[in-house]
Amino acid sequence: MKRLLPVWAALLIAAAPVAALWAPGTAVAAGAGVTFQETPSLAGRVAEGKLPPVEDRVPKVPSVVFMNAKDKTPGRHGGDMRLIMGKGRDVRLMTIYGYARLVAYTTDLKLVADILERFEVKDGREFTLTLRPGHKWSDGHPFTAEDFRYYWQDMATNKKLSPLGPRKKLLVGEELPEFKVIDKRTVRYTWSRPNSFFLAGMAGAAPFFIYRPAHYMKRFHARYSDTAELKKMAEKERLMDWSVLHQSKDRMYTLDNPEMPTLQPWMNTTKPPSQRFVFVRNPFFHRVDTAGRQLPYIDRVIMNISLRDLIPAKAGAGESDLQSRYIAFEDYTFLKESEKRYDQSVHLWRTVKGSHIAIYPNLNTKDPAWRKILRDVRFRRALSLAIDRNEINQVAYFGLARGGNNSIIEESPLFRPEYRTLWAGFDLARANRLLDEMGLDKKDGDGIRLLPDGRSAIITIDTSGEKTEITDILELIHDTWLKAGIKMLPRPAQRDIFRNRVFSGDSKMAVWSGLSNGIPTADMTPDEFVPTRQYQLQWPKWGKFMESNGQAGEPPDLLEAKQLLDLMSAWNNASGLSEQEEIWHRILKIHAEQVFSIGIINRTLQPVVVNNRLRNVPAEGFHNWNPGAYFGVYRPDTFWFAGKGKDRG
Amino acid sequence: MITYIIRRMLLMIPTLLVISLLVFIIIELPPGDYIESYIAQLEAQGEQANPELLNFLRQQYGLEKPAYERYFGWVTGMVQGDFGFSFEYRMPVSEVIGDRLLLTILISIATIMFTWIIAFPIAIYSATHQYSWGDYGLTLLGLMGLATPNFLLALIMLYFANVVFGTSIGGLMDPEYLNQPWSVDKAVSVLEHLWVPVVVIGTAGTAGMIRKLRANLLDELGKHYVTAARAKGLPGYRLLVKYPLRVAINFMVGDIGHLLPSVISGAELVAIVLSLPTTGPILISALQSQDMYLAGSFLMFLSMLTVVGVLISDIALTFLDPRIRLDQGTER
Amino acid sequence: MTTPNSPDATLQHFVSTEPFDPKVASKIAPELERYFLASQWKLMWWKLKWHRLAVFSGLFLLVLYGTTLISEFLAPYDTHTRDIGHIYAPPQSVHLFDDGEFIGPFVYGMDYKLNMVNLKREYTDNPNKIQRLRFFCQGDEYYFWGIITSRLHLVCPAEGGTLFLLGTDRLGRDVLSRIIYGSRISLTIGLVGITLSFFIGMIVGGIAGYFGGLIDTIIQRIIEIIQSFPQIPLWMALSAIMPLTWSPLVIYLAITIILAMLEWTSLARAVRSKLFSLREEEFCTAAKLMGAKPSRIIGRHLLPGFMSYLIAAATLSIPAMILGETALSFLGIGLRAPITSWGVLLNEAQNINIVVLYPWLMLPVVPVILTILAFSLFGDGLRDAADPYK
Repeated sequence: MKRLLPVWAALLIAAAPVAALWAPGTAVAAGAGVTFQETPSLAGRVAEGKLPPVEDRVPKVPSVVFMNAKDKTPGRHGGDMRLIMGKGRDVRLMTIYGYARLVAYTTDLKLVADILERFEVKDGREFTLTLRPGHKWSDGHPFTAEDFRYYWQDMATNKKLSPLGPRKKLLVGEELPEFKVIDKRTVRYTWSRPNSFFLAGMAGAAPFFIYRPAHYMKRFHARYSDTAELKKMAEKERLMDWSVLHQSKDRMYTLDNPEMPTLQPWMNTTKPPSQRFVFVRNPFFHRVDTAGRQLPYIDRVIMNISLRDLIPAKAGAGESDLQSRYIAFEDYTFLKESEKRYDQSVHLWRTVKGSHIAIYPNLNTKDPAWRKILRDVRFRRALSLAIDRNEINQVAYFGLARGGNNSIIEESPLFRPEYRTLWAGFDLARANRLLDEMGLDKKDGDGIRLLPDGRSAIITIDTSGEKTEITDILELIHDTWLKAGIKMLPRPAQRDIFRNRVFSGDSKMAVWSGLSNGIPTADMTPDEFVPTRQYQLQWPKWGKFMESNGQAGEPPDLLEAKQLLDLMSAWNNASGLSEQEEIWHRILKIHAEQVFSIGIINRTLQPVVVNNRLRNVPAEGFHNWNPGAYFGVYRPDTFWFAGKGKDRG
Repeated sequence: MITYIIRRMLLMIPTLLVISLLVFIIIELPPGDYIESYIAQLEAQGEQANPELLNFLRQQYGLEKPAYERYFGWVTGMVQGDFGFSFEYRMPVSEVIGDRLLLTILISIATIMFTWIIAFPIAIYSATHQYSWGDYGLTLLGLMGLATPNFLLALIMLYFANVVFGTSIGGLMDPEYLNQPWSVDKAVSVLEHLWVPVVVIGTAGTAGMIRKLRANLLDELGKHYVTAARAKGLPGYRLLVKYPLRVAINFMVGDIGHLLPSVISGAELVAIVLSLPTTGPILISALQSQDMYLAGSFLMFLSMLTVVGVLISDIALTFLDPRIRLDQGTER
Repeated sequence: MTTPNSPDATLQHFVSTEPFDPKVASKIAPELERYFLASQWKLMWWKLKWHRLAVFSGLFLLVLYGTTLISEFLAPYDTHTRDIGHIYAPPQSVHLFDDGEFIGPFVYGMDYKLNMVNLKREYTDNPNKIQRLRFFCQGDEYYFWGIITSRLHLVCPAEGGTLFLLGTDRLGRDVLSRIIYGSRISLTIGLVGITLSFFIGMIVGGIAGYFGGLIDTIIQRIIEIIQSFPQIPLWMALSAIMPLTWSPLVIYLAITIILAMLEWTSLARAVRSKLFSLREEEFCTAAKLMGAKPSRIIGRHLLPGFMSYLIAAATLSIPAMILGETALSFLGIGLRAPITSWGVLLNEAQNINIVVLYPWLMLPVVPVILTILAFSLFGDGLRDAADPYK
């Protein structure tokens, strides 16, 4: 059913993404006369009348994906993509990889409208969101402002479903936004002060879902459904009442309720528990390519659940078409060998965390003597200087990673070399001098320094004990710290025990992942550098204090921490990009000087196994949770199988 | 006879009760509960956990109730066929278990049969050719099977099977058959994968069985009636079959009681390594995330399997060997 | 005395007129005398000596345990010594002849190259770098039995050279040295555990066997419950309980206790069944009549009767202990780094990368197999020798 594509329409389509980049937040009308090509796997159902034809399935203003950039070639429909995951809950990765968001990041981390047709921001505090006309849920029902209203009025502010109110990030301070439905496709959120989290939150890997399929969820809501009916349904599933029932059906993110409609490119058709989940294409997905094919190209995604330790072996046996999860750098050599026997390639993508793992001295530790020492910046600097990052790099990463502070990396426009190198060299002499200066110059019989109260400086470092990588690195650090007179004892623990020890202050030092976003731009929130969350292991109690609005935890009492908080609110109220940038640099400088967390190594490499017939997967990219959504920003809906796309289960 | 069976079955009940108590205690011992480990999981992935929501959940799932209330609720529920609710999967435990128990039984039976088939001829040969090179050699081989740690063997065989036979790694069948109904293709695929776990689990039990069987056979062959029969001219083969073999079979059936627990628990370990869709992998993750009812019910299932299996073997033994009925029970 | 051919000699018999000394006549050959007078233990020893394989195994075990006393001396390196220039190095072979010339034991030095395509470390022997081994030399420092420091090793690499007879692991640590150090823990856990099992089994089995009746039934039920419990899941559950904040030594003890807790049942059963058959014997009734307390009867009269059998049974349980420790460490719930045991080493080798690329890291399985074989064969021999009723 092909019609010729008028030249002017083609030009318009070609110009669309350029315009999108220039004016963020606008989408372009595809215009009349665009040729759509029916999806072969759906053609049968269309012919039978069970599905509308493609031009009625996509929104009137679809999101057009520009295909002639490097690495992206226009593809064809068809094929099954196999993934291997380690547990049933990994089904949610299809929301992450699918990456259909109201507002989404591009690969250069700019925010553009994706599900939304456009969005307008006024003063950073008023957000007007406009949906695409004719956009439908995966079951064909229209996607409208009602879906937003339902979420806001009947869920987030409903006393039974959310007894403690909506998510913290939707509030600015204590303030709830004012929510207004402007028309059938437009909604508006207004705060009295700027909300810097809102857009980034919607574009996140695990985003705010501020909408729901109201037509589906209403069935489980007491306001719209018969109470007796609800009670029966709840009892059938052994749930206490309708609110728990509602919650159990509400699986926007986890995708494990196959009956719930979604806007993601693939929808789950398998009810858990299972070892094998089959995702089929969403016939009403809102993106198309420049040739008028509705995305995604790939018909089905098959997710096989396996034991995590076996996954490298399976990936090396050609059992996955696209794999990055559960394989690590140490598996690279083995995986590379598999290239000969199986038609696949193993690429190395960069990671962009501030540090692959970092050491967090607990400034809120209970022990008063240790707390005093840990708060002394000279101690933290000395510990950082006593780490031979080069050796670690050689041993664990063949020298391919980069040693440095737990700070931002080169790709970020805010990067300056001193952020990486300050206090991060290997200088035992200087470390020893600093410690001597601090008054820790007396040593015991084993050469370990003595604290003022006479105890030996033996510090137990808590880890969540799961990766041998961490054990190895800690062993190397142990030896160099010993030469500075500090003895380190690693202590692995189960995750929740580990967490509790750190939060309560029992732990003096912990090992954890470094900054999750090492490539921020000035308009991204600097909250990772400021006490905002309990899960910041260097100051859990201050973080808790800020998180709970003063209800729990302890108020920050260190000068530099207070400075950081002030800078954070300055950033929130900043009037423009340049002011935000300046604030960022002040924050980064404080961190580099204060060494609040000891970074070890970053820019490590992540192997990515790709079937050779799978196209549009870049050979080089960055692999990050947020921003990035692992493969999300690279739009897996544009991946396609060349050659014979056979069903391989 | 019937009274013996009834007595044994009745005795099963207090045994199972005590086991259930032990299981519950063990599961309850680690501090914290499922909700806490769930929070830890979320936060470790950088995702926010709404603590108020989780407290809410805690109430809903009854985790606030004191321990003894939960225990009684669980046990009474189990008797009625309701095994509790899995927090991790958010559905009743019985739905989670599904096929898995069946497959555990399948593997256990297959392994026991493998053990018999291999041990039997080897033991007979060893007993009849005592102290020969063959005897020593086979004994040594059997012992090596005993001595090699299962899990290492499993991994090596997995790789070997993949390289040589193209069998997909891990699992009990090719992935595409996983949720399909049973068919010839599916059965073939299961067989292709089954031999690795069976061999791995079976090697350990085989050695023990060979040695015990051999010892028993030697005992029997040394008895007077055998000498008498031989003197009377009974040919060797018929001699073997008529008496000592039957004793041996008695022994093998009776030894299921010993074999079954070790097969089931060995199967758990191997299932973890090989990622089999049996109870093993789910059990260990349930234990780690403190998914209380799931872990507890699994442990109960496995114990019940063992107890029932032992009971069946004891009853079968009473049919085979009249002496048992007259004693106070099997002497193992 | 009638002559043989006399008419009224109906019954011919011959009586010698030689002088007769009863004591001499009833004298038996010295070997036979030793045999009859030998104690139970001597008998057992003699029977054991016949079983060649068992004797050989016994000697092997003796040597093995002997080496655990001097592990530090035997191992070329310390268990923690790292050589990051030789990570994942394959085993080096010892040569005696270089180009046909005998120069004593030596290894070739290794050249290292990183293959940038698949990031593989490649080591090749360099025939020009000859590194002679040194014997009774100074190597890594160690703390011998916590008393004296020494640097004396049996064999060391050449100065500035390497001696990785079984290759190295991911931190460049010598596998052979780690196996030697690991033997200490793995071998002793078995012994400690079995001793515990032994005592518990004896006491419980003794009580059950001697008193019978209700006590016996209860104990039988308890044993049955313990045996019905699937072991591995029990370990997994117990691991979830064990606070990881304990020191390695405490964990070691906890593990031996856990293993012992599960093994004593078979021993108790054996004791019980033996006691059943023995307690009706006359010597037991006699002792009872003479007023002996049950504990004395059990301890002094009954148990020694089959102590040898028990020892044999115990010896045969040790393999289960060793395998148990290995399995626990593999599951990650037993010992872990920085303690070195064979189980810990195997846990680190539990990886497809190792199986395919660095298989020498699986070598710790060899001493495990050998030890278990030795114990089994030795235990077999003991059992055959110990049965006093054969």
